[in-house]
Amino acid sequence: MAGYGLPIASFIVGIILWEAYVRVFKVPAFLFPPPSAIVQVYFTGRIDWVGQTLVTVTEAIFGLVIGVAVGFALALVITLSSILNKILMPYIVALQVLPKVAIAPILYILLGFTDTSRILLIVILTFFPIVINTTTGLTDVDRNLVHLLKSLGASGTTIFYKVRLPNSLPYFFDGLKIGVSGALVGAIVAEFVSSSKGLGFLILNSQYTFNTVAAFGAFVILTVLGLLLYGGVILLGRQLMPWYRPN
Amino acid sequence: MAAIVAVENIGKTYTTVNGDEVVALEGISLAIQKDETVAIVGPSGCGKSTLLRLIAGVERPTDGKIERGTRDGRFIVGYVFQDSSLMRWRTVYDNIRLPLEVVNSHNYEKIDQLIEMTGLKGFEKAYPIELSGGMQRRVSIARAFVHEPSIVLMDEPFTGVDELTKEALQHELGTMLRNLRATAMLVTHDIEEAVFLSNRIFVMSRRPGRIVDEVPVKLPADRDPSMRSDLAFFDAAKKVREKLLAMQAMSVDVEAASPSD
Repeated sequence: MAGYGLPIASFIVGIILWEAYVRVFKVPAFLFPPPSAIVQVYFTGRIDWVGQTLVTVTEAIFGLVIGVAVGFALALVITLSSILNKILMPYIVALQVLPKVAIAPILYILLGFTDTSRILLIVILTFFPIVINTTTGLTDVDRNLVHLLKSLGASGTTIFYKVRLPNSLPYFFDGLKIGVSGALVGAIVAEFVSSSKGLGFLILNSQYTFNTVAAFGAFVILTVLGLLLYGGVILLGRQLMPWYRPN
Repeated sequence: MAAIVAVENIGKTYTTVNGDEVVALEGISLAIQKDETVAIVGPSGCGKSTLLRLIAGVERPTDGKIERGTRDGRFIVGYVFQDSSLMRWRTVYDNIRLPLEVVNSHNYEKIDQLIEMTGLKGFEKAYPIELSGGMQRRVSIARAFVHEPSIVLMDEPFTGVDELTKEALQHELGTMLRNLRATAMLVTHDIEEAVFLSNRIFVMSRRPGRIVDEVPVKLPADRDPSMRSDLAFFDAAKKVREKLLAMQAMSVDVEAASPSD
């Protein structure tokens, strides 16, 4: 725990300085609310924080799960078939190069203001790091291990299960770390554009009503959610890969 | 004695991405008898590792043929690589077990025997990341012997290991080769390692790799570190070194004689 002392102290000092600055310079709460006001906003009873948070979390996790499944399946396909690799790669790369939040408004023209369009945006934001990282893990294997198994008469399938698949696990988890951040971004952008619920909608609504403190309340929850999801991925990775130490 | 491997006039040519042809090996012939260890010594890039892969059957020669003697109707190799090449997601025990899984053998007592022989007792559940470089080599060596292969192929097995650990590992490997009555082929650029571990040393030339000499090692079968100061040890090492130096001088002469453009 000794290593955490300075970061915790730094965080607490930052919060105190923030509170002091707002009080000393009498900054209006609708411009820049102090931490004490943000804490109070959770207890006014005017906003269903739990309900709104659940909407965003459900969307993010649902989209993430589908994005991971699609990403993993695509990685398998493009690793196992060089022809499909060549056919699919231009589309995957084009989709990645495009700033994906830009296509959000168009998704709603195509699919309407539905849960499907919101989830699809999250899927688009999450699947790419999974595809690229998992593909790297499936292909960037120790050639000696492949030679060893080949020399013992192992089939391509055996080499895949015994070498390629386990080798891809750390790469997959690195992709998942990027994916969870993308899932939250996707959920918020989707709610900005097309929803009447969730933390994204709450932030947008706060802008219209100058209820900046509520927006800050949402930021705090999103930060905590991001940390929990990211930390969850790290913990799961440690559980499934006791043999792996990241550099 | 029956030959486990008979290599007859093989060559290997690679085509580069630019379409150029590179001759890696040319006119290689040699035979490896049962229960003997032969070493291949040569400069870097002479095709030593390629020769191992051809014998293992991982690659096919462009010319010539390789005949492989069988044990119980099958030819199986054990492989020791220069960087251990362990599966980092497997424990020591499971890494050693790998060849048994692939050849569908349940001779798990052999794993325990090799763990004992290689001094890995107590480390069965450790992952490679938890082991020193020397310990990883031991796992790699145990893995190469566990399925009782027809031949053990070793590709610079102790590169990067500190000198004292290397000598200890060489002694342990030599003892294992003898006790397990294994047939082995060692590729190395360490002349002393070749002399200490092998019965015969083939010297290879720079690319295209050809066998330019065969040096017998007249040391007793049972070897211990004290033999490193025997006359026969020095004699074999001297012959190999002289041959390598002569080739090096020749290649320098050829380069000097080539017109510069």
